[in-house]
Amino acid sequence: MVLKLLKIKKEEPEQIEIRCHEVTDRVREIVTFIKTRQGQLTGVQDGNQYEIPVTDICYVEAVDNRVFLYTGQQVYETRQKLYELEEVLREKYFLRISKSMLLNLMKIKAIKPALNGRFMAILQSGEEIIISRKYVPALKEMLKGGVC
Amino acid sequence: MHGKEFLMDTLRTFFAISTLSTIAILVLGLMFVPGQPIGQGYEAFATPLIFGLVGSVPNLVMYSKRELSVKELLIRKVVQLILVEVLVLYTAFGDAKDMWDDYTLIAAVAVSIFLIYLIVTAISWCQNYLEAKRLTEDLMKFQNR
Repeated sequence: MVLKLLKIKKEEPEQIEIRCHEVTDRVREIVTFIKTRQGQLTGVQDGNQYEIPVTDICYVEAVDNRVFLYTGQQVYETRQKLYELEEVLREKYFLRISKSMLLNLMKIKAIKPALNGRFMAILQSGEEIIISRKYVPALKEMLKGGVC
Repeated sequence: MHGKEFLMDTLRTFFAISTLSTIAILVLGLMFVPGQPIGQGYEAFATPLIFGLVGSVPNLVMYSKRELSVKELLIRKVVQLILVEVLVLYTAFGDAKDMWDDYTLIAAVAVSIFLIYLIVTAISWCQNYLEAKRLTEDLMKFQNR
């Protein structure tokens, strides 16, 4: 695939165009990446495809090799892997809080102690999510303004 | 440092000093005043340390490579308490059959063990509570910056 980068005038709108013979998985992967960078993720629910703003997502969870996006009321499945999402969502204030979960720090209402040195994040939606002890230092680091 | 935080810090220091003082008295006593009659010598200072060690071994029950659920943790906590009771009682009374017949004594020691377990758990919970409070404060600043 030939990559063209064209510098345009300020008056013209910026755009990305992919010219391909066929929409393959590789092309879809590029599209997903661009959408994620623009603050959107593609999720599937009941066979329908939706564009979900990243800011609406409370947490991302991997269950049995499938990855789900949880908003306050809805659950969507995504094709992307958890580690890929961890990479791209880091700058959108998502942090890994357990082996199988990424949490949107902007959706947390409070943090409470849980048993055995763990913590529990109380989300704005009222849901309670356990933060593993292993990931607490990364959380502290990020809240202090560091990049994890 | 907030009031509660200061109190927890002081308590931690108190327990560390108590343990280390006991070790120091035991070692120095055995070095400089050896040969005391059994039960009246400095080896008696080893007793709290032995109980501390015996009471810490059941902590292994809480170890897990995977993340435990709240229910699993609660079950393990109960198992840990039972093990602490059994091990400490056995260490305290061992083969002394006449002691085991004194139910009031056994019950009093068992209740003491339970209370100590509760206090240790409460101290640990308070530490976590303070840390959670700090994290929430940092989180609020993070969200509003």
